[in-house]
Amino acid sequence: MKISFLIHNAYGIGGTITTTFNLAQALAERHEVEIVSVLRHRELPNFALDPRVSLRPLVDLRQEKEHPLHLRPARVFPRAEYRYGQYSELTDERIGECLAALDADVVIGTRPGLNVHLAYQAPRHVVRVGQEHLTLDNHSPRLRHALRRAYRRLDALTTVTEADAAAYRRKMRLPGVRVEALPNSVPDPVLSASDGTAKVVVAAGRLVPVKRYDLLIEAFAVVAAEHPDWRLRIYGKGEEHDRLRGLIAELGLWNNVFLMGAAAPMEAEWVKGSIGAAASNFEPFGMTIVEAMRCGLPVVSTDCPYGPGEIIQDGVDGRLVPVGDRDALAAALLELVRDDELRRRAGRAALKNAQRYAPGPVVEQAERLFAEAVAARAAGRRAVRERSGVQRVLVGQGFAARDAAYTAASGALRVVRKGRR
Amino acid sequence: MRTTVSAVTARLGCVVDDSGRIVFDLPAEAARATQEAEGQRLLLRLRPKKDEPEKVLHTLALEPGDDGRLCAVLDPEPVLAEGRWDVYLLGPGTERQRLRPGLRDLRALVDGQLRDRRTPLAVRIPYATKDGYFAIRTWLRPAHAEVERVDVSDGSTTVGARLHGVSLAAGGTVRLRLRGGGGTVRELKPLASDDGHGFFFTVDHDGLAAARHGVWDVFVQPSPDAPLVRLARLLDDVADRKEVFVYPAVTVEGACLRPYFTVDNDLSLEVRKAV
Repeated sequence: MKISFLIHNAYGIGGTITTTFNLAQALAERHEVEIVSVLRHRELPNFALDPRVSLRPLVDLRQEKEHPLHLRPARVFPRAEYRYGQYSELTDERIGECLAALDADVVIGTRPGLNVHLAYQAPRHVVRVGQEHLTLDNHSPRLRHALRRAYRRLDALTTVTEADAAAYRRKMRLPGVRVEALPNSVPDPVLSASDGTAKVVVAAGRLVPVKRYDLLIEAFAVVAAEHPDWRLRIYGKGEEHDRLRGLIAELGLWNNVFLMGAAAPMEAEWVKGSIGAAASNFEPFGMTIVEAMRCGLPVVSTDCPYGPGEIIQDGVDGRLVPVGDRDALAAALLELVRDDELRRRAGRAALKNAQRYAPGPVVEQAERLFAEAVAARAAGRRAVRERSGVQRVLVGQGFAARDAAYTAASGALRVVRKGRR
Repeated sequence: MRTTVSAVTARLGCVVDDSGRIVFDLPAEAARATQEAEGQRLLLRLRPKKDEPEKVLHTLALEPGDDGRLCAVLDPEPVLAEGRWDVYLLGPGTERQRLRPGLRDLRALVDGQLRDRRTPLAVRIPYATKDGYFAIRTWLRPAHAEVERVDVSDGSTTVGARLHGVSLAAGGTVRLRLRGGGGTVRELKPLASDDGHGFFFTVDHDGLAAARHGVWDVFVQPSPDAPLVRLARLLDDVADRKEVFVYPAVTVEGACLRPYFTVDNDLSLEVRKAV
């Protein structure tokens, strides 16, 4: 098959970029694969890309930031999308041209707004697969409303968890669209696994409020009070940096907690630790949890929607604690800090259990999904393998009505506000 | 299967052990794409100061290793001069090619503070430069005082450190030397541990705030007449510490005081006018 991925910006750092690169590289073993990056802001991606995968940017911000069309708001890319501000008439135009000229068998969108582009602009002969790396429940009603219409035109929609796939099936009416959970894959580690002896807890991710690094630092204060020789290393950068630095100072933890800056790839950093930690309020998947486990680290995480609970087996290869509960997080960390044997046993279990996220099994599933969708489209039908039922339709209609009402109401509110100005 | 790799994507990986030995590895196809198959070497170059010619070079043979990779070994000897070393791929009759960083397995360095070191102390930490190349940070010190912890309170800062290659004798002092201060020095009395290697000292904030503003570099003089030993933190895997090990600033009597690590991972105390 010839497979094209459409991604927001392949030159940044983040879970979607990593997982798209991983999947693209694994597919390149047997298929012709390209990644189309809508934006580009630097010469090279942060992650080394397998040379068999070609990378093609559409808008180079280093030259085209001030392009007249780039200064005008996007019309195809949905207004309610998180990244709307970074899209423009120029991106609309370039994405449209790119899709119109596409000679791939399958095109895969990697975020809602790009899935909308595929839905409306991909040629008829190309199979359209939308990927959702976030969750339906976290989308605004307005975005859900836009997606409900557009996603009906997709052949398949993949989510990263079973829970989110279930939400799409239940709350969106997508007749003829195959909805399936396709977890993110993490490549087989190159380095030997952690031996679980280092007195280091490692966390990684963008420093943004939803990741709750503040909660993790507060929980670690309890660990450091009992075990002053243990350290917490937090990798990543972001808007919370200075606030977290302030918290570390306030709690007197500067000898124990370190903001390490961004590291990509993380593998060589995970193996320096013996426990992984995540404190998010919300984690659509939890890529770093799988990465840490694949390096032999048991992971302590909040049991937030939806990823961690599908990745971690509580008490076996890590711990799940209630969201926002500092004391429970501290207690779970301490349990693994205090007991060397428990920690090493959990680390070995993590290594074994996380193998299901190796590229092998995940890519096989993706390949099967794409091939079946291509065959179905060639035979003139859609890829769906879904039970239908009056109940499901009615439930879906209920959610649709609610989002539409909200959208209409807030539209009306905008009109009212405008009138007042 | 195409195996062409552009020059800019050749990534050098390495494993460092606790003796400082570095085993480099390079994907073979990366090397082949740009070089002749035979006679490839790694070139280490001590980064010269701006507008100065490069002088210090080491080359290492690249040998075929596991699964078609190329390996080179940098043993603890030769001792590398202190500074930053850039790494290039070198082939016969071709231009040298600066290498990008791959995975750097530095886990053996993480608890490096727990081991006593021989002197002269030679430290090597491979790292990725800001512009995305492989480099090695090195230190070479006749004797060394490793900063272990820094405790900052409103009234004082206490530094715990450990000497390597020399021990603290009677009459040993900690000396704060004002940078560019024409020899202005403040002397402090350290408290030594039983083995004479560990010590700590306390800087009184009021006293320092009343002294001249500027940057005070921290040294220990283990015994009277002994050479000064710079306090630094070198014995782990962190090549650039300045933005990672950050201590809080304290404001006293119109002055803002802050202990910090310099770009060379040496310990200094900054005193400036509070804003």
